[in-house]
Amino acid sequence: MAFPQRQAAIVGVYTTRQGRKLSQSSFELEMEAIKGAIADAGLQMSDIDGVIPLNASPHVGRVSAHQFWAEQLGERPLTLLEIGLTSGALAKAAVAIAAGMASVVVLFWGKSGWELGPGGTPVPDRAPRADAWDFQIFGGGYAHMYALWAQRYMYEFGVTSEQLAQVAVTHRHHATLNPDSVMGDRGELTVDDVVGSRMVASPLHLLDCALDTDGGYAIVVASRAVAEGTRKKPVWVLGGAEAAYTDFYMTIDDPWFKEQGQAVRKTGDLAFAMAGVARDDIDTAGLYDCFTVTMLRDLEELGFCKLGEGADYFAEGHTRLGGRMPCNTDGGLLSNSHCGHPSGLHTIEVVRQLRGEAGERQVPDAKIGLSLAQGSSVHGQAGTLIMAVD
Amino acid sequence: MSTVVKPYLKPLPKIDEFNKPFFDVLKQHVFSVPRCSDCGDYGWVPYPACRSCHSTRLTWTPVSGKGEVYSYTVVYRGPGAFGEEVPYVICMGRLDERPRSCIVGANMVDVDPFEVAIGMRIKIAFEDIPAEDITMWRWAPRGDEV
Repeated sequence: MAFPQRQAAIVGVYTTRQGRKLSQSSFELEMEAIKGAIADAGLQMSDIDGVIPLNASPHVGRVSAHQFWAEQLGERPLTLLEIGLTSGALAKAAVAIAAGMASVVVLFWGKSGWELGPGGTPVPDRAPRADAWDFQIFGGGYAHMYALWAQRYMYEFGVTSEQLAQVAVTHRHHATLNPDSVMGDRGELTVDDVVGSRMVASPLHLLDCALDTDGGYAIVVASRAVAEGTRKKPVWVLGGAEAAYTDFYMTIDDPWFKEQGQAVRKTGDLAFAMAGVARDDIDTAGLYDCFTVTMLRDLEELGFCKLGEGADYFAEGHTRLGGRMPCNTDGGLLSNSHCGHPSGLHTIEVVRQLRGEAGERQVPDAKIGLSLAQGSSVHGQAGTLIMAVD
Repeated sequence: MSTVVKPYLKPLPKIDEFNKPFFDVLKQHVFSVPRCSDCGDYGWVPYPACRSCHSTRLTWTPVSGKGEVYSYTVVYRGPGAFGEEVPYVICMGRLDERPRSCIVGANMVDVDPFEVAIGMRIKIAFEDIPAEDITMWRWAPRGDEV
């Protein structure tokens, strides 16, 4: 059985303000985003019949977030209760919608009041307890785990810090063309700026790392029947998939970099096969760029270049505005925003490109786009979504 | 005259029924990993069943503790009490045991952070935590380079 292409579309997207220490709560950001995305589509809140909440319930911890949102959105039965990593979850929602399980599904996230980075953990007055095999035990966090991964990657493939830095430089350039980005008004970066910024965890410098911001967003996906009556150009779902490979980085057997790839490769291969499009057909993409090295590995794992060739491929400029497949045109997680669970931002930027709403950073005549969500430390989890406009 | 021991404020493991045998022998400075009683494979991080044949007949088995640096990072920004110890080293060491390599994460001690390199020969070391009935595992240089 084939993926139900063009039977569901992204019809509404919304991003709240992104930035350090916003005054709104996580819930307020979620609610603003849901209302905004529904308004963008020209739908009513009462049209929602499925939810993909990315946060836990803010209300009663032992109850699922879906139940909280069912009541919060108006005491009527919601019929699609999905979870997952944005791009993959949206693909599953499209399939469920095509099968008649729901017609208007909203995915949303909001985050405020906590930090992902090391500064978010205060010094306690006694030794806290942690899960025995967790990276907290040895002072690890997200940046540290990706640093371990980057160190081995650079060793095996002879990649330099300057080659990683070009990712931060390009994504900052894109951010300067995005008036809503957090870092755009700081102006362009140079490779020297990146390798000269303070070290966080070798080999990753401060400017190799994503931002650590607050913010929210929402994405509405709807049936063909609904989509044909909405306000904006429908962005049809052509295919998509999700995969989990590991729960901890350090359980991955050696070699860490395998020819056959891991979760990202799996979702990419599945999504391209379902969508019936080739890699060369992608006009624009949003790829998970939590660290500079992640972007290079995404390009390899998705099959846009070969293992170990990500830096050379990137240097050729294909992913820069003006190149053949501009990526992360909003500035990405490095220079637009990393609001805690930010992978939906990549999908939203691709939707805006395909609708022709990207202003100064518009990719001319963009028709087919791809978004990649990646997480759980180093390709342990992935979701790929392929979208198109008529 | 008394000596003030600075309290250990970094996270310590929650001991449970599954991991207790590991931490009990760790106190005797023995590092053990779950070995499958059916297929003989070693596993780390410990999972409740063998990741090769899915048997739940696992035995905590002492290993040599010898290995080499598979990857490492020198950390300048650490969470909580780790922030007071920068720069510190996190090391992913590959134990010599096979068939499944065991990539073990730990802080590296007794080393100049700037001397650490991929491929360096290392061994498991032990740190008894003051005022806590627990021992932690670390990596340290093997010191037998010729």
